[in-house]
Amino acid sequence: MPYLIRRLLQMAFVLWAVATIVFLMFRLMPGDPSAAFIDPTFTVEQQQAVRAQFGLDRPLPQQYLIYLGNLLHGEFGLSFRQRQPVLGMVLEVLPNTLLLTLTALLIAYAFGTLLGALMAWKRGGRFEAISVPLVLTTRAAPEFWVGMVMLAIFAFGLGWLPSGGANVAGAQYASEWDRILSLDYLRHLALPALTLAIYLQGLPALLMRSSMLEVMREEFVTMARMKGLPERTIMLRHAARNALLPLVTAFALGFGQSVGGNVVVENVFSWPGLGRLLAEAIANSDYPLAQCAFLLIALVLVLMNFLADLLYGLLDPRVAHGRG
Amino acid sequence: MDVAEARAAPAVAALPIRRRRGAWAAFARHLLRDPYALIGISIYAIFVVVGLTAPWLAPYDPMEILFTADGGLAASLPPSADHWLGTTNLGRDIVSQLVMGTQPSLIVGLSAAVAVASIGTVVGLLAGYFGGAVDQVLMRVTDIVLGLPFLPFVIVVTALLGPELQNIVFAVAVLLWPNAARVIRSQVLTLSQRQFVEAARVTGAGEWRILFVHVAPSVLPFSALYGAFAVGWAILTQASIAFLGFGDSSAISWGTMLQDAYASQALDRGQYFWFLPAGFCIVLVVLAGFLVSRGYEDLLFPKLRDDT
Amino acid sequence: MTELLAVRDLAVAYANGAVHAVDGANLSVRRGGMLGLVGESGCGKTTLARALMGVLPGGARITRGEARLDGTDLVALSPAARRARLWRDLAFVPQTAMSALDPVYRLRDQMREVLCDRGGLSRTAADARAVELFEAVGLHPSRLADYPHQFSGGMRQRAAIALALALKPKLVIADEPVTALDVIVQRQVLDTFRSLSTDLGLSAIIVTHDISVVAYLCDQVAVMYAGRVVEHGPANAVLEQPSHPYTMGLMNAFPDLESDEAVLAPIEGSPPPLSDPPPGCRFAPRCPFAEAVCTREVPPAVAVTPDHWAACHRTPEAAALRPRARDPLTWRGVAEATA
Repeated sequence: MPYLIRRLLQMAFVLWAVATIVFLMFRLMPGDPSAAFIDPTFTVEQQQAVRAQFGLDRPLPQQYLIYLGNLLHGEFGLSFRQRQPVLGMVLEVLPNTLLLTLTALLIAYAFGTLLGALMAWKRGGRFEAISVPLVLTTRAAPEFWVGMVMLAIFAFGLGWLPSGGANVAGAQYASEWDRILSLDYLRHLALPALTLAIYLQGLPALLMRSSMLEVMREEFVTMARMKGLPERTIMLRHAARNALLPLVTAFALGFGQSVGGNVVVENVFSWPGLGRLLAEAIANSDYPLAQCAFLLIALVLVLMNFLADLLYGLLDPRVAHGRG
Repeated sequence: MDVAEARAAPAVAALPIRRRRGAWAAFARHLLRDPYALIGISIYAIFVVVGLTAPWLAPYDPMEILFTADGGLAASLPPSADHWLGTTNLGRDIVSQLVMGTQPSLIVGLSAAVAVASIGTVVGLLAGYFGGAVDQVLMRVTDIVLGLPFLPFVIVVTALLGPELQNIVFAVAVLLWPNAARVIRSQVLTLSQRQFVEAARVTGAGEWRILFVHVAPSVLPFSALYGAFAVGWAILTQASIAFLGFGDSSAISWGTMLQDAYASQALDRGQYFWFLPAGFCIVLVVLAGFLVSRGYEDLLFPKLRDDT
Repeated sequence: MTELLAVRDLAVAYANGAVHAVDGANLSVRRGGMLGLVGESGCGKTTLARALMGVLPGGARITRGEARLDGTDLVALSPAARRARLWRDLAFVPQTAMSALDPVYRLRDQMREVLCDRGGLSRTAADARAVELFEAVGLHPSRLADYPHQFSGGMRQRAAIALALALKPKLVIADEPVTALDVIVQRQVLDTFRSLSTDLGLSAIIVTHDISVVAYLCDQVAVMYAGRVVEHGPANAVLEQPSHPYTMGLMNAFPDLESDEAVLAPIEGSPPPLSDPPPGCRFAPRCPFAEAVCTREVPPAVAVTPDHWAACHRTPEAAALRPRARDPLTWRGVAEATA
């Protein structure tokens, strides 16, 4: 079977499995999911009508089939609290999360890759002895705490940047694009993106370091030296270029993981994104909303895992042709 | 069985045991020689001692609301001889909270390590040794787990099962064991080809005996490594859950301390002594795990070792 | 023909000088000549080749001696001056081109790197030259657009040769250039070298453990043993009338090139540890003709003919020793007796 088709089938299987796990988890949640719709004044008949409306009067396997069918049609239900389709609510905040993730990852990978390449180049020296433990420390620091420190210093202490949200309250914009491209939005984005980047840069830095150390032992690096090329050229054009391959994969994987991993940072900075929506929905027992947010986060994750695999094949000519 | 074979058996059977000692001895040597690992072990040791003696070390009850000599609420006091790190906005002693907060972190970290290492080892051994259906199931389960977003999953599990520590450990273990199992599986695959396993088979040892007596000891160092990874993840996850307000709010932990500081505008008031120490403690414990496992990882996966 | 490269008493040490992989090697390459550098694995021939290129693995360095290329001592040059000469004066063909060619660049880009960055050519000039070079080694120029992994083993090796020839180096050093290939492809690559030698007057050192490669390709040969060159001379003279007992033994280990009678008599024992070599002649412990002087004094290079020498105390008796060396019984039990 061609690789692409096999990989697509695998992705479909994972999506189905995740959807099933989500169904079971939310069906087992404490409390009746229809409770929010039922007033104490309702008669028993009225209560049952509401339950029937949710399909809760049917046996579990049938509910499961209805649930899967709804997912395929993009039906995620109504929010218990807001009484409006959850999909719209989730899609409304999705751009914020994607932008935050992308900004943070770009900063993290630009910085981390350079740092990792330098650590490999200057291996065994003082630079490496200091930077490796430092990078490990950033990986050990809880993101929300780093965010709190950033807030205390830059928002409350120095007053340079706003302390939360995505836009100044009450601001009006002609379109969504105007809002996102405004300087105000950028100022709100700065601290959460930087906080995330501080955590995220550790992986590319360590990955680049070990990947490049491995490449530096390759014969073609020795050959580049025999060709009389300057050390800079050898390191950048040959060692770093070959070492980059695993980082591209890691970037795609990291994107998928951060969309869900943003939960904490979004909450620290009151960033109106998916993670914050999910946490609030669970805290309010708004299960349809939480379920939809969770499914969307999982969907991004699975798609990115898939993309990472494809990218790996495209970028490494050996793999690309080997699979052809 | 041939007489010659029977006589050869004990000598051959002794091999894996020597191997196992070799691996642990290498681990011990690594700890003593690698200064980073030594620092990591020392940090662990200090926190374990603090955690065990926390009720006696803590100067106050961490939840007790304290009053000053003149009868006022001892709220938001700066650090002093009485309160080394000052008090919270409700008049609670921060040092006492910090000391008591050591316990949940250590409990979560260590139990997650044990859970991940044991599930991962058993499944990895079965999948690697028997292959077939177990192997297929392991691979598919790993795929699925990679499709579950980490923190959102833990949040939903705590919402479902309750905020207690064991549920956080359960969720973390569910997400981390397949990775450990996969690595151990591949180790078992190479080990089963080795001579001492072949030899044990020739002498008529049962499959289960071969698996647990001959193969298992050699993969235990890998289990330990993945257990060590789990410590950091579990501690960070527990703190995050507590910070988000999904944790057990009745129990003091570093995460709940930070959530309390955040919600009580400690950042706004610049009460660094309130929210910095708890964060530093989390960093130290998680970092200790990294420092110990980092060099150890080089030892187990020599491909990555830098010998140029 | 004049001397192009003269290596005198070259020594390369590993591990802070405790081990000498090359310890006082002498050899010379003539302009337009092909020198075969033969020896068992671990005799230091690859280290010697890499030392000449100035690229030794970490921890290894040249401790003494000189290597004069066209009169300039490469060892005495500053690193910068040394690097300026690399690939222009001296180029290298690796054992496995698969790992020696950067996998992520097309061959054209690898050609351009050498021709533009090191040779100062424009892109267009470089591309034209690359076509010439590919044709010279028998590769179709359209293959310049391919990545290394798209080549077969033999083609990859020829691409590596083309790269080595790019800047018209004075000397090419090839380290086991055909060892990794199967026999038929070996022949094709050797023929490539041969035609380059006759058409372009290529000067080269061919490092190999395979005497038949030397016999096929080289006009001169240097035999290495335990870090030293023990015999050096015209290929047919050394192969047909070896004057050092080690060369005699080595010839026994190969089927006779001329006749069909295969006398396979391996040299017993193994080369001495380089961390603790024996005093005197390093081959003495395995040599059936060793005398008391051999274990005491390092043998000097003794001329057999003006351009053929052997580092052996008994070189003058070589003609008498040769027939005895052909008898497998001569070699039996020598190593144990002296151990």
